[in-house]
Amino acid sequence: MMILKMKKEDLSTFLDAVKEWGELWGPTKKDGKVSFSKVDSLSQMDLKATRTIIPPKKFLYPPRFTMFDFDENGYVERTGDVPKRILFGIHPCDIHGVVIMDKLFLETYNDPYYRERREKTLLLGHSCIPDDKCMCTATGTDFIAEGFDLFFTDLKMSYLVWVGSTKGHDLIRLKPELFSRALDKNDILNYTEYRKWKNTQYKTNLDFTGMPDIFELGYSSPVWDKLAEKCLSCGQCSMVCPTCNCYNVVDEVELGSIEGTRERFWDSCMFREYSLVAGGHNFRDKRADRLRLWYTHKLQAYIGEFGKPACVGCGRCVATCPVDINVVTVSQALKEQEVGK
Amino acid sequence: MTKQSPKVGIYGFTGCAGDQLMILNCEDQLVDLFGATEIRSFLMAKSDNHEGELDVAFVEGSISTDHQEKKLIDIRARSKVLIAIGGCACVGGPQAMMVGDGKWEERFKKVYGNAKITVAKANEAKPLDAVVKVDMYIPGCPIDKTEFLSAVSKLVAGKHPYLYQFPVCNECRWKENPCILYAGKFCGGPLTKAGCGAICPTLGLPCVGCWGPTDDLNVSSEYQLLKEKGYDPDEIMKKLRKFGGAKLAELVKDIEKKGAKA
Repeated sequence: MMILKMKKEDLSTFLDAVKEWGELWGPTKKDGKVSFSKVDSLSQMDLKATRTIIPPKKFLYPPRFTMFDFDENGYVERTGDVPKRILFGIHPCDIHGVVIMDKLFLETYNDPYYRERREKTLLLGHSCIPDDKCMCTATGTDFIAEGFDLFFTDLKMSYLVWVGSTKGHDLIRLKPELFSRALDKNDILNYTEYRKWKNTQYKTNLDFTGMPDIFELGYSSPVWDKLAEKCLSCGQCSMVCPTCNCYNVVDEVELGSIEGTRERFWDSCMFREYSLVAGGHNFRDKRADRLRLWYTHKLQAYIGEFGKPACVGCGRCVATCPVDINVVTVSQALKEQEVGK
Repeated sequence: MTKQSPKVGIYGFTGCAGDQLMILNCEDQLVDLFGATEIRSFLMAKSDNHEGELDVAFVEGSISTDHQEKKLIDIRARSKVLIAIGGCACVGGPQAMMVGDGKWEERFKKVYGNAKITVAKANEAKPLDAVVKVDMYIPGCPIDKTEFLSAVSKLVAGKHPYLYQFPVCNECRWKENPCILYAGKFCGGPLTKAGCGAICPTLGLPCVGCWGPTDDLNVSSEYQLLKEKGYDPDEIMKKLRKFGGAKLAELVKDIEKKGAKA
């Protein structure tokens, strides 16, 4: 992986130039809503915003979209109309989230809708300032070495720019004069200093070691029932989680015809309907069972399958659940066998 | 159409008629609707109505007189499928917000005094399913055009309709709104069926619950949470019950009992 150096003031020029490849999207803040929006230039972005409400998974498979149109003769895929997008300002945790999504939708199963969007989306990461809800040190997602096309680390006076893919390198070649390969001793010292400083910014100290064992030991723990008394089954945790990927599929038909569309939308295992099967049987009818599934999948089962948790420590569940059920409180409750207020 | 169009009846009982009006408000699809179905009875839209066998009956409003009860039983008897449309038909509507408190007769007297009512015998408002079997519910106050047309289109095509069963919060996150309940506002989103597109929270207003309760709501947790956020218990109960009708009344029984002791 190549690392280049860029002057801070050149970022705006660079982002203007990359629009040649596709639409430019970045984090914006409007009326308390922090989201990735389409922008014209760097000036419209808020690079200090810690986390967007919805992670960048919305670009790779939108909350609701049409898969294909059908009629009595067959179906026609709705592919090809996805715009080429450049996402600037994605933080390491969210890139880790995309890497996990890639495993599920490109490796385990080849999902053509995901693949098309993924191939048409360039990820330009940006370093971040952790807040009191970030816990990416516990999940090992505070830095990122894969999954992005370019990654910009803000070292106050300049950017260090990681080139993560050939597509990323193509972007550099649009404005090669802005980048330098001449890195010196000070750059190394500044970068080391930055990493040290970042480490001091975390306020949530979480220890995820041994989590799979603790989940196994706590499988029948009364803690799940206690948490279920609080859980509103609102499903927000799934919507905001960068690695929740379940969806439902329904057909919509046109009135008076059999032509229609097949629609796909985000679903959550926190909903009772999710585990309802033909004949009316529900294999996770109890809220406690659904909660346990969600957290066991994130913090135990996923480790068994892929070697690391499906939690990227972004803190969105902490910043969203109205009744304070999140990876921090649940793992604590399991360890201490007590549900906090 | 080669196959026979389904015979449809659209009826209204106690309510504001807003759901029937919403059907008429499907202006762009109205010609298709009347073309794809044979609308046998729709008093609000036409004068030439025939009461006979129906494939589908859409029924709005709660049942609040003995006369309505008889009429509903008759509609059920001649309909293959009966669908409740709107909050009043689905759960009882705002007129059922105090249902089951044992003070209905007192309230009736307060309004009508000792006047002799001859039109029909009035009862406490109840949802359709308190009287007959209901095959499907299209919630909303009023219903949403898209949801209604989706259901009708599928019924005409011989498919099973599907409406969102999850709460408003899901659609609210899709709109990328920050959670206003998390921020401390009185929001009924987690208890309320989605389908409205989370219009209110998207405009910064808390959900008042007009789509009615979901099938899997945790009302005691929401009540507890709002109490912790500093809301008055009576106020919480009033707001939660506004659109919750008979269904929510049943669910809050225990909380109310405990509240009375405290």
